[in-house]
Amino acid sequence: MQQPRRQFLWNIGGGFGGLAAAQMLDQDAVSADNIRPNPEFNGGLHHPAKVKRVIQLFMTGGASPMDTFDYKPELERLHGQKLGPAEKPEGFTAPAGAIMKSPFAFKQHGECGQWVSSVFPHQAEVVDDMAFLMAMQSKTNVHGPATYMMNSGFLLPGFPSMGAWISYGLGNLTDNLPTFVVLPDAKGLPYNQKGPFSSGFLPAVHQGTVIRTDGDQPVRDLFADPKHAFASRAADAQGFDLLNKLNSEHAAMNPDDTRLEARIRSYELAAKMQLSAPEAFDVAKETAETHKAYGTDNPVTEDFARRCLLARRLVERGTRFVQVWSGPQGATGNWDNHGSIPNELPPIAASVDQPIAALLRDLKARGLFEDTLLIWTTEFGRTPFAQGGDGRDHNGGSFVTWLAGAGIKAGTSYGQSDDWGYKAAEGKTYCYDFHATVLHLLGIDHKRLTFRQSGIDRRLTDVHGHVVKEILT
Amino acid sequence: MPVNRIRNLIPGFLSVAAVCLALALGQLVVAQDAVETTAEEQFFVDQIQPLLKRHCYECHSHDAGEFGGGLSLDSKSGWQKGGDHGAAVVPEKPDDSLLIKAVRRESEDLQMPPDERLPKKSVALLVEWIEQGAVDPRKPVTQSEPTSDPLDWWSLRPLPAATVAADIGDFGYIADHGAKTADLDRAPHRQSPQASIDFFVDRQLKRAELTPILPADRRTLIRRAYFDLHGLPPTPDEVDAFENDDSPDAWGKLVDRLLASPLYGERWARHWLDTVHFADTHGCEHDVFRPNAWRYRDYVIDSFNRDTSWPRFIREQLAADHFFPEESHLIAALGFIAAGPLELSRASTAPVTFDYLDRDDMVTQTMAAFASSTANCARCHDHKFDPITQEDYYSLQAVFAGIGKGDVEFDADPAIASQRRHYTALIDQANRGQFDSSLSDEVASIASGWEDLASKHPAVWTTLRPSAFVSSDGATLKRLEDDSLLASGHRPDTDTYTISAPLPLTKLSAVRLEVLPDESLPFKGPGRCDNGNLHLNEVEIYLNDSESRRLKIRGAVADWDQAGWTIAHSLDSDVKTAWGIYPKVGEAHHAVFEFEAAATLKSDSQITVVLKQLHGGSHLIGRCRLYVTDADGAAAKVVPQAVAAALRVSKPERTAEQQAAVISFAVKSVAEQKLAELPALSSVYAASKFYSRSAKLAQPMTPNVVHVLHRGSIDKPGAVAGPGSLSVITALPGRFAVSDAADEMLRRAALAEWLAAPENPLTWRSVVNRVWAYHFGRGICDTPNDFGRMGGTPSHPELLDWLAVWFRDDAKGSVKELHRLILMSQTYQRKSGLHGESEAGAADKARNVDPNNRLLWRMQRRSLDAESFRDALLQISGRIDLAMYGPGIQQFTQSKGAQATPKLDYDAFDWKSAAAARRSIYRVVWRGIADPFMESLDFPDLGLLTPQRGNSVSALQALTTFNNDFVLHHSEVLADKLTSEYPKVDEQIRQACRLIYLREPTANERQLLAEYANTHGLAATCRILFNSNEFLFVN
Repeated sequence: MQQPRRQFLWNIGGGFGGLAAAQMLDQDAVSADNIRPNPEFNGGLHHPAKVKRVIQLFMTGGASPMDTFDYKPELERLHGQKLGPAEKPEGFTAPAGAIMKSPFAFKQHGECGQWVSSVFPHQAEVVDDMAFLMAMQSKTNVHGPATYMMNSGFLLPGFPSMGAWISYGLGNLTDNLPTFVVLPDAKGLPYNQKGPFSSGFLPAVHQGTVIRTDGDQPVRDLFADPKHAFASRAADAQGFDLLNKLNSEHAAMNPDDTRLEARIRSYELAAKMQLSAPEAFDVAKETAETHKAYGTDNPVTEDFARRCLLARRLVERGTRFVQVWSGPQGATGNWDNHGSIPNELPPIAASVDQPIAALLRDLKARGLFEDTLLIWTTEFGRTPFAQGGDGRDHNGGSFVTWLAGAGIKAGTSYGQSDDWGYKAAEGKTYCYDFHATVLHLLGIDHKRLTFRQSGIDRRLTDVHGHVVKEILT
Repeated sequence: MPVNRIRNLIPGFLSVAAVCLALALGQLVVAQDAVETTAEEQFFVDQIQPLLKRHCYECHSHDAGEFGGGLSLDSKSGWQKGGDHGAAVVPEKPDDSLLIKAVRRESEDLQMPPDERLPKKSVALLVEWIEQGAVDPRKPVTQSEPTSDPLDWWSLRPLPAATVAADIGDFGYIADHGAKTADLDRAPHRQSPQASIDFFVDRQLKRAELTPILPADRRTLIRRAYFDLHGLPPTPDEVDAFENDDSPDAWGKLVDRLLASPLYGERWARHWLDTVHFADTHGCEHDVFRPNAWRYRDYVIDSFNRDTSWPRFIREQLAADHFFPEESHLIAALGFIAAGPLELSRASTAPVTFDYLDRDDMVTQTMAAFASSTANCARCHDHKFDPITQEDYYSLQAVFAGIGKGDVEFDADPAIASQRRHYTALIDQANRGQFDSSLSDEVASIASGWEDLASKHPAVWTTLRPSAFVSSDGATLKRLEDDSLLASGHRPDTDTYTISAPLPLTKLSAVRLEVLPDESLPFKGPGRCDNGNLHLNEVEIYLNDSESRRLKIRGAVADWDQAGWTIAHSLDSDVKTAWGIYPKVGEAHHAVFEFEAAATLKSDSQITVVLKQLHGGSHLIGRCRLYVTDADGAAAKVVPQAVAAALRVSKPERTAEQQAAVISFAVKSVAEQKLAELPALSSVYAASKFYSRSAKLAQPMTPNVVHVLHRGSIDKPGAVAGPGSLSVITALPGRFAVSDAADEMLRRAALAEWLAAPENPLTWRSVVNRVWAYHFGRGICDTPNDFGRMGGTPSHPELLDWLAVWFRDDAKGSVKELHRLILMSQTYQRKSGLHGESEAGAADKARNVDPNNRLLWRMQRRSLDAESFRDALLQISGRIDLAMYGPGIQQFTQSKGAQATPKLDYDAFDWKSAAAARRSIYRVVWRGIADPFMESLDFPDLGLLTPQRGNSVSALQALTTFNNDFVLHHSEVLADKLTSEYPKVDEQIRQACRLIYLREPTANERQLLAEYANTHGLAATCRILFNSNEFLFVN
């Protein structure tokens, strides 16, 4: 296959991301135009990129908007009245109870005057750096499909997640680390297991690399298990060398096949990753002050703090997209507070609040906000109606997401839910708009990042999506 | 469906390009008018157009392919003409403009946008625009009227009528391409079918003035064929034998041998399982194991090995129950319909959505797998590119509207199934008392045999004398003179009696429980409840001698059952159900519990009977007595009073009614016993009318009503859809006339017939292309699941059509014949590499003209897929276990998860265990938690259909093949084997190369490898060879 050497180098050197790499590997990649990250666009595909790396914080279970960021005085007035739907709506787990006010005190914060409840004292201090989407809506009230929606834009399994799309579109910033890294809660995987980080129908190279923060090998198979004594580090080094010789000879006998060259190069990159990754994952290298700021010293915040800190280290070293999950799937230990808002929300909120504020400040202080986007989101909101005594049920009608960092108009908010926080009323945004906005910041036109799959030029945003310009600089 | 309707579906109907043009148009307009625009025009471009785009285009534009209410808003003429209610905008008169009325939501009937109120600011802008005269500089979007026939698309055109015996000219290509007579002489039918592939391929190469590359050498060919057909490498001996086989049909013999091997089915089943996204768990939020899904996997393996003809394969998987009711084992084929994921959480909390989306999965899979059609794209609107309407789509949904997913029981042996049907029918007849004067020989013989046995060997019941008896909840049990036990004293809510007694027999076949009236009990009992009733929830019987074991009870019969509280409930392990006797209180009743197998007793054998009475309300036994017998099953049964009375009358003197009662009872008893003796039923995770939303039903469901959903929303149901398929194919019925709308099986059968019809232009092209794609790494049409206008177009359309017709008519749908045809062609046997071709030669030209090898001037080099890599390591290291079939192998450890989904640990699996050596097809595939090793080698995400696997190369993949436990372990196993067989390192290296590369190492390789082996050992050397490109790619 004749191919300009330069393009080939981008394919390989760019860490095998990208549309062109897919074409090289004879994939069915069909984009609107044959493009790749453009230095004139600051690495963007279609227009100048403001963002080069992303950290997404995902609150599993459906973080309650009216108990965190979406202040609803009307609920106080109507508290205890049965005003909800008579029939159980699709996706509610139980019939709607009476209207329930938030058990937490709300105050306005910062110059922007964003309302924040008492469960987020630390984030309240940095609201002037955030832009809020106050009226996001989901198409479902069920965890699994909603988690898929917020990650892949589809209700069904099998579609690539945003991180995979970004890896496919932009490739990597470094050879030394995976492009798309996932840091699940130590307690377990989110809804749909590994589905939310799947590469779907995109090549497997784009799937999220799940990092294990519990063991001594963060990246799977980075090194051989010590029980295989023959696979020593010395054997590795000379082995890569021997392999290179064998493969080069083979390539000479089988000329003109970039896949063979790509595979040779992949072992060189593997060797580089072995050298760099352990350092990147070693949070012990951080100062005591940093640890204290994030809260790794406090059992309440320790797990989430460590993963936020790791996320910062990774983006700092060139990982493109890091996802940090709060909460596993399940009935406890996450944001799915059916049983009791006053009892269940404060502990999970406390486990993330300080680390999040610390991460935001840290990114800013290190100048990473120049080209990093920080996102806080969840799969849906919760009902203004009580479930059981004082819990809240699932509600795709309205929920909150905030963004901060490069390209974001700090201290703004867009959209508004109705007086109860039940449904989005004005400035409604779907996952499509959210995804379109993130891609836009990365220099990608969401309508032009496509992959032909079973008859459709698939997009992260399906056939929808508007960039929410209102929250952009 | 009317063809006109299809024509008018969408502007982009003509081609993808037209649609892209439409998409681009909006932006073009903005650009071109920027030169000299008036302030009003600028206002429109800046303020109004973005607003319309954002809030209205989704349902009212050419771009969306949708004109809600007949209105388009992407051009001036659109709003001028207006929709069903007339012009949308009256310039200068906002209050009279429907557009404004709609966004102001003035009337209940017209509120736009439907889901969300427009911000006040936006409404004000629209008003301002109309007040100023509604200037709209957009150019009209011309809706090009398609003039072409919707069937005028390569995949929808009827297949040529020709068979191999007809003239090639019938294909209509000769005239088109001005072929010369010489071509005709080479026409396939004048030679052999095998030659036809080369005929078509070579003709296209010739037109491009290209010459194909040389044939591959034997070693390359045999390795290619083995991986292709078996997913395993040949052994060095097999390579040697083939290289030394001088017979002219050496290749043909090899191909035949490979196709005859069961390893073939294991390889090709995996392709089909990818295509239909089969996995062993639900996937989604609650990723629950399906312990019986594997029977479908085995069915697919078996079908490929048997070479089930393709139309039959279709019929079996969609409606085996209809087409082959006698062949009970084929119920496993219905696993096809249930192959995809299941959203358990949605099933319980969002049932309506669940139904539509679950059926969507079935429709998507069926139409993609068999017809390469993307019918599912018409869920929210008519298909934007293909002539498929929303009605078509929902008609397909209606095909699956009467089934759900769950474990379906069946007889793996059709002969057993036949017996089961027979005895079930007899019982049914007996229950209805349908034995009159004319008895079949069988019934007559059963009846007289039973009566003989009953009279000659009446069950002798021996009373048990309880030696120990306790109440769990404090009642007083007392043994009376007649060995019965009487309860008195404390009357708890619930109770369990445990009664033990010595056994005075040598054999035990049944136990009889008698409940007796007593003056001390309410209403004289026999129960302790206020109304004299009792509820016996569960009975357990244990035999104790040197050891203690629980006896398996085959069934129970009582002389009387309370309505809804039958004796069977005492054996169903459900503590909510029980046996009762109400309202027949104050009299004795009895029940007999018959064991599955008679137990041989020793002198010290004791029996323990546990009577659980857990219903509450003191539904307790007041007085009871136990008996045992050694009589044979049928005779030991309790005889109902009416039958007992009849038996006391001699045969000739019985009334017809009495005789019927005896016969019915006899037949029922014998048939029940026969049924109980049959082998247990098998289960498969499949589709059945006895499931809805994965819940098992007592009665089959009535097919759900399927509505055409506007924009795919369950809140906007439209007309009701009946079963059907694509109406564009006029040769076949687009809507199915099923004789009984309630019989869902007929709907599936109708779709199977539609797909398997010889006239279906999609099916035959689809399957030959799919098979071709696996052989050549790419289909003739390179989108095997999409033959629509968004899919690829065939590189060799004549060849594809010829293959389709040949496969249908000459090969009679035999996939093995198709493989043979392909492998015997020269096209398949070409080299993939360019080594040895002269630089200025033909290959050099070809690679410049056709670098992607679409014209097949060479073979496509391919990398080993995950299974082939894994299975090859197992085979080469000598530990592969080629056992076929059976439950899946779990190559991970499981622990409890937060909810229904367990936690899996793939690293904890022991590669030394026996289960490690089975072929990859037998692995349990956990849909949402895939094996990371397999995943890194592009094992697909089975949430979606995978017509072709990805082809990744990455550092992480390199790390996996380099460091994964599986690879390292098998490097060690191979090294150990070689070390034990060959003492010298040099010979070990040589043998390793022979096994892995299937050739002798070069002198240089020998030296390099030996050096490394001397430093780091042979296992380390095997690891390097397993990672080398020569092993990982198939030339």
